[in-house]
Amino acid sequence: MLQTSGLWLALATFLSIWWGHVGVRWLEAKSVDIRPPMVALIIAGLILNVAALFAPNVTIGGVCSVVGIALWWDAFELVRQDRRVRHGHAPANPSNPRHARYLAEGKATLHDPLDREPSDPMVDTQPSAHREPEVA
Amino acid sequence: MMWEGLAIGLFSLGIIGFGFFWVIRMEYYLGYLWWPYPMLFGIGIVVLSLFVMDSGWSALLGVTGASFIWGATELKEQAVRAELGWFRRNPHPKPLPPFAALIRKIKAPHL
Repeated sequence: MLQTSGLWLALATFLSIWWGHVGVRWLEAKSVDIRPPMVALIIAGLILNVAALFAPNVTIGGVCSVVGIALWWDAFELVRQDRRVRHGHAPANPSNPRHARYLAEGKATLHDPLDREPSDPMVDTQPSAHREPEVA
Repeated sequence: MMWEGLAIGLFSLGIIGFGFFWVIRMEYYLGYLWWPYPMLFGIGIVVLSLFVMDSGWSALLGVTGASFIWGATELKEQAVRAELGWFRRNPHPKPLPPFAALIRKIKAPHL
Protein backbone atom coordinates (compact mmCIF):
# COMPACT_ATOMS: atom_id res chain seq x y z
CA MET A 1 0.00 0.00 0.00
CA LEU A 2 1.24 3.47 -0.88
CA GLN A 3 2.06 6.03 1.82
CA THR A 4 0.26 9.26 0.78
CA SER A 5 1.53 11.44 3.64
CA GLY A 6 4.40 12.77 1.49
CA LEU A 7 2.08 13.57 -1.39
CA TRP A 8 -0.26 15.61 0.85
CA LEU A 9 2.68 17.46 2.38
CA ALA A 10 4.14 18.13 -1.08
CA LEU A 11 0.82 19.62 -2.20
CA ALA A 12 0.54 21.73 0.96
CA THR A 13 4.13 22.98 0.58
CA PHE A 14 3.84 23.83 -3.12
CA LEU A 15 0.45 25.55 -2.76
CA SER A 16 1.72 27.50 0.27
CA ILE A 17 4.72 28.71 -1.71
CA TRP A 18 2.50 29.52 -4.70
CA TRP A 19 0.18 31.57 -2.49
CA GLY A 20 3.24 33.15 -0.90
CA HIS A 21 4.21 34.49 -4.32
CA VAL A 22 0.94 35.18 -6.13
CA GLY A 23 -1.36 35.83 -3.17
CA VAL A 24 1.02 38.10 -1.28
CA ARG A 25 1.55 40.28 -4.39
CA TRP A 26 -2.22 40.54 -4.83
CA LEU A 27 -2.90 41.24 -1.16
CA GLU A 28 -0.18 43.89 -0.93
CA ALA A 29 -1.39 45.61 -4.12
CA LYS A 30 -5.01 45.73 -2.87
CA SER A 31 -4.33 46.76 0.75
CA VAL A 32 -4.22 50.47 1.53
CA ASP A 33 -2.60 49.58 4.86
CA ILE A 34 -0.65 46.30 5.04
CA ARG A 35 -0.90 46.02 8.83
CA PRO A 36 -4.45 44.51 9.04
CA PRO A 37 -3.65 41.65 6.58
CA MET A 38 -0.35 41.08 8.40
CA VAL A 39 -2.17 40.67 11.72
CA ALA A 40 -4.75 38.38 10.07
CA LEU A 41 -1.97 36.19 8.60
CA ILE A 42 -0.11 36.01 11.93
CA ILE A 43 -3.31 35.00 13.78
CA ALA A 44 -4.24 32.43 11.10
CA GLY A 45 -0.71 31.00 11.26
CA LEU A 46 -0.91 30.77 15.05
CA ILE A 47 -4.30 28.98 14.90
CA LEU A 48 -2.96 26.46 12.37
CA ASN A 49 0.21 25.75 14.35
CA VAL A 50 -1.77 25.23 17.56
CA ALA A 51 -4.17 22.98 15.59
CA ALA A 52 -1.12 21.00 14.40
CA LEU A 53 -0.31 20.14 18.03
CA PHE A 54 -3.73 18.55 18.48
CA ALA A 55 -3.98 16.88 15.06
CA PRO A 56 -5.02 13.23 14.96
CA ASN A 57 -2.09 12.18 12.76
CA VAL A 58 1.24 13.30 11.29
CA THR A 59 -0.23 14.15 7.88
CA ILE A 60 -2.89 16.55 9.18
CA GLY A 61 -0.49 17.98 11.77
CA GLY A 62 2.19 18.48 9.12
CA VAL A 63 -0.18 20.14 6.65
CA CYS A 64 -1.49 22.51 9.37
CA SER A 65 2.01 23.48 10.46
CA VAL A 66 3.45 23.86 6.93
CA VAL A 67 0.55 26.16 5.94
CA GLY A 68 0.68 27.96 9.31
CA ILE A 69 4.40 28.70 9.10
CA ALA A 70 3.99 29.76 5.44
CA LEU A 71 1.32 32.27 6.55
CA TRP A 72 3.78 33.73 9.09
CA TRP A 73 6.35 34.02 6.31
CA ASP A 74 3.69 35.70 4.13
CA ALA A 75 3.08 38.33 6.83
CA PHE A 76 6.80 39.16 6.65
CA GLU A 77 6.68 39.04 2.82
CA LEU A 78 4.01 41.78 2.79
CA VAL A 79 6.63 44.15 4.23
CA ARG A 80 9.23 43.01 1.67
CA GLN A 81 6.72 43.36 -1.19
CA ASP A 82 5.91 46.89 -0.03
CA ARG A 83 9.65 47.65 -0.17
CA ARG A 84 9.94 46.10 -3.67
CA VAL A 85 7.10 48.32 -4.94
CA ARG A 86 8.63 51.40 -3.32
CA HIS A 87 11.98 50.74 -5.04
CA GLY A 88 10.47 49.84 -8.44
CA HIS A 89 11.28 46.12 -8.21
CA ALA A 90 7.59 45.20 -8.50
CA PRO A 91 4.71 46.98 -10.26
CA ALA A 92 2.68 49.54 -8.32
CA ASN A 93 -1.12 49.66 -8.35
CA PRO A 94 -2.02 53.32 -9.11
CA SER A 95 -5.50 52.92 -7.61
CA ASN A 96 -3.96 52.06 -4.23
CA PRO A 97 -3.29 55.39 -2.40
CA ARG A 98 -0.13 53.96 -0.75
CA HIS A 99 1.27 52.92 -4.14
CA ALA A 100 0.12 56.21 -5.71
CA ARG A 101 2.25 57.98 -3.10
CA TYR A 102 5.27 55.82 -4.02
CA LEU A 103 4.68 56.62 -7.72
CA ALA A 104 4.55 60.34 -6.91
CA GLU A 105 7.89 60.01 -5.07
CA GLY A 106 9.35 58.86 -8.38
CA LYS A 107 11.01 55.51 -7.63
CA ALA A 108 8.04 53.15 -8.09
CA THR A 109 6.96 51.92 -11.52
CA LEU A 110 3.85 50.53 -13.21
CA HIS A 111 5.99 48.13 -15.20
CA ASP A 112 6.93 44.64 -13.90
CA PRO A 113 10.72 44.42 -14.38
CA LEU A 114 10.64 40.61 -14.03
CA ASP A 115 8.09 40.18 -16.83
CA ARG A 116 10.60 39.33 -19.56
CA GLU A 117 12.66 36.43 -20.85
CA PRO A 118 16.29 36.20 -19.67
CA SER A 119 19.05 36.41 -22.27
CA ASP A 120 20.78 33.26 -23.52
CA PRO A 121 23.06 32.00 -20.71
CA MET A 122 25.42 30.36 -23.23
CA VAL A 123 26.62 33.69 -24.59
CA ASP A 124 29.89 35.03 -23.14
CA THR A 125 29.29 38.54 -21.80
CA GLN A 126 32.79 39.02 -20.34
CA PRO A 127 35.01 41.44 -22.28
CA SER A 128 37.90 39.45 -23.71
CA ALA A 129 41.34 40.48 -22.38
CA HIS A 130 43.20 38.78 -25.22
CA ARG A 131 41.17 39.92 -28.14
CA GLU A 132 42.85 39.58 -31.53
CA PRO A 133 43.15 42.86 -33.44
CA GLU A 134 40.61 43.21 -36.18
CA VAL A 135 41.99 42.87 -39.70
CA ALA A 136 40.55 45.11 -42.39
CA MET B 1 0.36 16.54 21.75
CA MET B 2 1.47 16.01 18.15
CA TRP B 3 4.94 17.58 17.98
CA GLU B 4 5.79 15.86 14.67
CA GLY B 5 3.47 18.17 12.72
CA LEU B 6 5.21 21.25 14.10
CA ALA B 7 8.60 19.68 13.35
CA ILE B 8 7.54 19.14 9.72
CA GLY B 9 6.44 22.78 9.52
CA LEU B 10 9.81 23.97 10.84
CA PHE B 11 11.57 21.60 8.44
CA SER B 12 9.63 23.19 5.54
CA LEU B 13 10.93 26.60 6.63
CA GLY B 14 14.50 25.30 6.58
CA ILE B 15 14.25 23.49 3.25
CA ILE B 16 12.64 26.54 1.56
CA GLY B 17 15.45 28.68 2.98
CA PHE B 18 17.94 26.21 1.48
CA GLY B 19 15.97 26.56 -1.78
CA PHE B 20 16.83 30.28 -1.99
CA PHE B 21 20.51 29.36 -1.56
CA TRP B 22 20.69 26.65 -4.24
CA VAL B 23 18.55 28.56 -6.77
CA ILE B 24 20.98 31.53 -6.63
CA ARG B 25 24.02 29.22 -6.92
CA MET B 26 22.57 27.05 -9.67
CA GLU B 27 21.55 30.03 -11.78
CA TYR B 28 24.99 31.59 -11.30
CA TYR B 29 27.06 28.54 -12.24
CA LEU B 30 24.76 26.58 -14.57
CA GLY B 31 22.05 28.96 -15.81
CA TYR B 32 18.28 28.82 -15.86
CA LEU B 33 18.14 26.36 -18.78
CA TRP B 34 18.86 23.57 -16.28
CA TRP B 35 15.39 24.06 -14.70
CA PRO B 36 13.92 20.65 -15.75
CA TYR B 37 16.55 18.77 -13.70
CA PRO B 38 15.67 20.07 -10.21
CA MET B 39 12.02 19.74 -11.23
CA LEU B 40 12.45 16.07 -12.17
CA PHE B 41 14.53 15.53 -9.02
CA GLY B 42 11.72 17.02 -6.91
CA ILE B 43 9.06 14.93 -8.65
CA GLY B 44 11.26 11.85 -8.09
CA ILE B 45 11.50 12.60 -4.35
CA VAL B 46 7.70 13.00 -4.10
CA VAL B 47 7.23 9.66 -5.91
CA LEU B 48 9.79 8.08 -3.57
CA SER B 49 7.78 9.36 -0.59
CA LEU B 50 4.89 7.12 -1.69
CA PHE B 51 7.02 4.03 -1.01
CA VAL B 52 8.33 5.03 2.44
CA MET B 53 6.16 3.30 5.00
CA ASP B 54 6.78 5.71 7.88
CA SER B 55 4.42 8.68 7.52
CA GLY B 56 6.87 11.11 9.16
CA TRP B 57 9.73 10.33 6.76
CA SER B 58 7.30 10.29 3.84
CA ALA B 59 6.10 13.77 4.88
CA LEU B 60 9.67 15.11 5.04
CA LEU B 61 10.38 13.71 1.57
CA GLY B 62 7.17 15.29 0.24
CA VAL B 63 8.14 18.72 1.60
CA THR B 64 11.66 18.36 0.18
CA GLY B 65 10.37 17.31 -3.25
CA ALA B 66 7.92 20.22 -3.42
CA SER B 67 10.67 22.69 -2.50
CA PHE B 68 12.82 21.43 -5.39
CA ILE B 69 9.86 21.73 -7.81
CA TRP B 70 9.34 25.32 -6.62
CA GLY B 71 13.07 26.05 -6.93
CA ALA B 72 12.97 24.92 -10.56
CA THR B 73 10.28 27.53 -11.24
CA GLU B 74 12.46 30.24 -9.64
CA LEU B 75 15.50 29.78 -11.89
CA LYS B 76 14.18 31.86 -14.79
CA GLU B 77 13.20 34.81 -12.58
CA GLN B 78 16.56 34.56 -10.81
CA ALA B 79 18.28 34.89 -14.22
CA VAL B 80 16.29 38.08 -14.89
CA ARG B 81 17.12 39.42 -11.40
CA ALA B 82 20.83 38.85 -12.11
CA GLU B 83 20.53 40.62 -15.47
CA LEU B 84 18.85 43.59 -13.78
CA GLY B 85 21.81 43.82 -11.40
CA TRP B 86 19.85 42.83 -8.31
CA PHE B 87 22.13 39.79 -7.88
CA ARG B 88 25.72 39.02 -8.90
CA ARG B 89 25.87 37.97 -12.53
CA ASN B 90 28.25 35.33 -13.87
CA PRO B 91 29.84 36.89 -16.98
CA HIS B 92 31.18 33.55 -18.28
CA PRO B 93 29.24 31.27 -20.62
CA LYS B 94 27.40 28.54 -18.78
CA PRO B 95 27.44 24.80 -19.55
CA LEU B 96 24.70 23.49 -21.79
CA PRO B 97 22.32 21.11 -20.04
CA PRO B 98 21.66 17.70 -21.59
CA PHE B 99 18.80 17.96 -24.13
CA ALA B 100 19.27 21.76 -24.31
CA ALA B 101 17.64 21.98 -27.74
CA LEU B 102 14.49 20.35 -26.37
CA ILE B 103 14.51 22.47 -23.19
CA ARG B 104 14.74 25.70 -25.23
CA LYS B 105 11.46 24.77 -26.94
CA ILE B 106 9.63 24.62 -23.58
CA LYS B 107 8.74 27.88 -21.85
CA ALA B 108 10.46 27.87 -18.44
CA PRO B 109 7.77 27.88 -15.72
CA HIS B 110 7.55 30.49 -12.99
CA LEU B 111 5.08 31.30 -10.22
